[in-house]
Amino acid sequence: MRGLWKWFADRWPFYPLRDLLLKEEIPGGASFAYTLGSSVLMIFTLQIASGILQLFYYVPTTDHAYDSVSYLRTEVPFGWLVHNMHYWGAQAMVLVVVLHMLRVYIWGAYKKTPLTWFIGVALIFITMAMSFTGAPLIWDQAGYWAGEVGSSIAGEVPLIGGIQKIILRGGETMGQLALSRFFAFHIWVFAPLLALLIGAHIAAFRTSGVGGPWVEEKRKRTGPFWPDQAFKDLVTATVVFLGLITLSVFFPVSFTGAADTLNTSYIPKPEWNFLFLYQALKYFKGPWEPIGAAGVPAAFIILLLAVPVIDRYPERNPFRRPIAMACLAAYVGVLAVLSIIGYLSPGLAQMPVIAPGSPPRQSSSYLMSVAQGAPVPTGVVPHTSNARKPQEHGRGGEADRAGKAGQRGAPPGSQSLPSEEKALEETTGRAAFIIGSAENGADLYEEECVSCHGPGGKDGVPNPGSEDGTVPPLNPIDRKLYDKDPKIFAGNIDKIIQHGSVPEGPHPALRMPAWGDSRSLTQQKIANLEAYILKLNGVNRAQLVHPGMQPKSFLLLVGIVYILTLLLLGGLRSKRSRKADSHEE
Amino acid sequence: MSDTVPAHGNRDETGREREDDSVTRRKFFKVVIGVTAFLNGLILGIPFLRAIINPAPLQKLSYTEVGDIGSLPIGEPQDMNFAMRSGDAYRHEEVIHSVWVVKHSPAEVTVFSPICTHLGCHYKWNPQAGHFECPCHGSVFTITGKVIGGPAPRPLDTLPHKLEKGKLFVEWERFKVGVSEKVRA
Repeated sequence: MRGLWKWFADRWPFYPLRDLLLKEEIPGGASFAYTLGSSVLMIFTLQIASGILQLFYYVPTTDHAYDSVSYLRTEVPFGWLVHNMHYWGAQAMVLVVVLHMLRVYIWGAYKKTPLTWFIGVALIFITMAMSFTGAPLIWDQAGYWAGEVGSSIAGEVPLIGGIQKIILRGGETMGQLALSRFFAFHIWVFAPLLALLIGAHIAAFRTSGVGGPWVEEKRKRTGPFWPDQAFKDLVTATVVFLGLITLSVFFPVSFTGAADTLNTSYIPKPEWNFLFLYQALKYFKGPWEPIGAAGVPAAFIILLLAVPVIDRYPERNPFRRPIAMACLAAYVGVLAVLSIIGYLSPGLAQMPVIAPGSPPRQSSSYLMSVAQGAPVPTGVVPHTSNARKPQEHGRGGEADRAGKAGQRGAPPGSQSLPSEEKALEETTGRAAFIIGSAENGADLYEEECVSCHGPGGKDGVPNPGSEDGTVPPLNPIDRKLYDKDPKIFAGNIDKIIQHGSVPEGPHPALRMPAWGDSRSLTQQKIANLEAYILKLNGVNRAQLVHPGMQPKSFLLLVGIVYILTLLLLGGLRSKRSRKADSHEE
Repeated sequence: MSDTVPAHGNRDETGREREDDSVTRRKFFKVVIGVTAFLNGLILGIPFLRAIINPAPLQKLSYTEVGDIGSLPIGEPQDMNFAMRSGDAYRHEEVIHSVWVVKHSPAEVTVFSPICTHLGCHYKWNPQAGHFECPCHGSVFTITGKVIGGPAPRPLDTLPHKLEKGKLFVEWERFKVGVSEKVRA
């Protein structure tokens, strides 16, 4: 065994590499203040692992990206953990990178290691790029709109904007080519670049050393990186790690519904780490807009790059660097204030994004007719978006029928509506397989359904001429439609929402329109409505089908394992120190 | 300066003790690092592996209409295509499947899965020779599905079916290939 190892070590620089990674005398000794960088490294490793695992299930196509992520999250054992860890890891990475940079700035460490700082600025930029390109991959409402707005901002930059947008989207509109590009950038461009630059960052600080305490006197005493600093690094990293698991268990990412350009009830707002940009751009109006689009992000980056160039004063004690600290306060203050205003501001009503050459959208006029109290919409059929045409997927079946209905322009409520019994014999639409957003479904319900089914689905309005006398309540729903399995339940109500139904009775005044067949509602909207109706009846559409282990039980198990280990290590420690004491006596 | 004075004063008496202490402390650090790193890897490693080692659940079976068998010749295998909406993970489109149907009488048929039991290729009926042949590795089966040549480990798989008013309904399912037992896959 030893011979084999020697054979290997003679041919491969194991020891030099180990020394490069571990051998360093830290001025002033180990400190918890220096553990932020290694926590970023831990999170990045986590992102690679969870990212690769998601690739085992994910497909970057506009028609199935959302479903593939939903499948991973609900039907793959521990898929919920994989996805939520990736999401929370991404949030934590941005946050910890910022904290790491703040620490380095306050300690004045960049004065000793400017190259490490420059690489760090590149890293924060790429981290933001990862955050930006990652969100649209789910192709849900949140991600779609983040991608749409973000790449539009890139497109407004003077001179290079047009080309930037085309590079990002593969064309003018947010479609399949855009999704493929976000995918390629996220996984094949930015992730490897991040890994490379992290390597360069580590090599740079091992070569040019680390800053150490700001008081020169304290720097004279040194402590080893291994194991003193490594121990502290691991303690912080483990705390962050356990924090991420806890967040994944208690705050799973919400299902915002499949991307749908026609769903104007969804108000897009950027993730917290882009709120500052979102808010700043509001101050650049008209001709100033391109200047804001290019200038704001550039200004933040250039200021960071300029730090070691401008500030060459050797003093590192923050208490003796009033100007540097004032600048920091201003920089962080501007970011924080912009983010807070952005967070509090009511989201702007969604602007219709109309690609050149695409016909004008009709959904708003259609929504109006419902708002004016017309319970049965007339023949206005909103056209489907070019971003996603769910009804046109698959061969035959309901797709063809829906297509024909669309061509005929048959309004919902036309004579061809089936009885409920007949409707239930028909096939489900695509919506039945999409995990919708119950939250958005509630809004859609207010717009589309409340006039007949009553608030919260409790009291259906009177329906003269029908056998029941009222519109059937949805909460609680007819037991015939109910099922505790969310897929079956959604499938049951889907048939009625897609194909409509005529209540039994001589001359029912109100009928259930064929929302899907007539294309009055997109499949994504129907899926959201279904999620809401399930929720009214106490069923979670996004219920974990194969969790591997229930999230809370998993967290409990993790907690028990760590507490037992801590007790064990604590026992070991006290035994050892007792031994050392007795030895000394 | 002030904090160096006591250290200087105690050096002779406590210097050695401190060194010993720091040695045991570092040893302890290494143990904690090892254990915690291992634990962190395990806590995530096991669920992540579980996410990969995830046999897709078996599909629920249901009868699908294949078609009218009235016109089929008796004693001559025919392949029949039919469409069904089968759930393939997160895809729920209509898929065309095919089966080999051998009609014995208007009320009696045998339905074979079109998948060779050896390694999953699709075999064909050879009307001249009067047997089924798999093009991949040369397995040969009789009209009753018995293996008469090649590496196939078990007879052809039959599928559950029923006849209603001359129409054939089949319960489409798949079986593991390469094993001598007929096990659902």
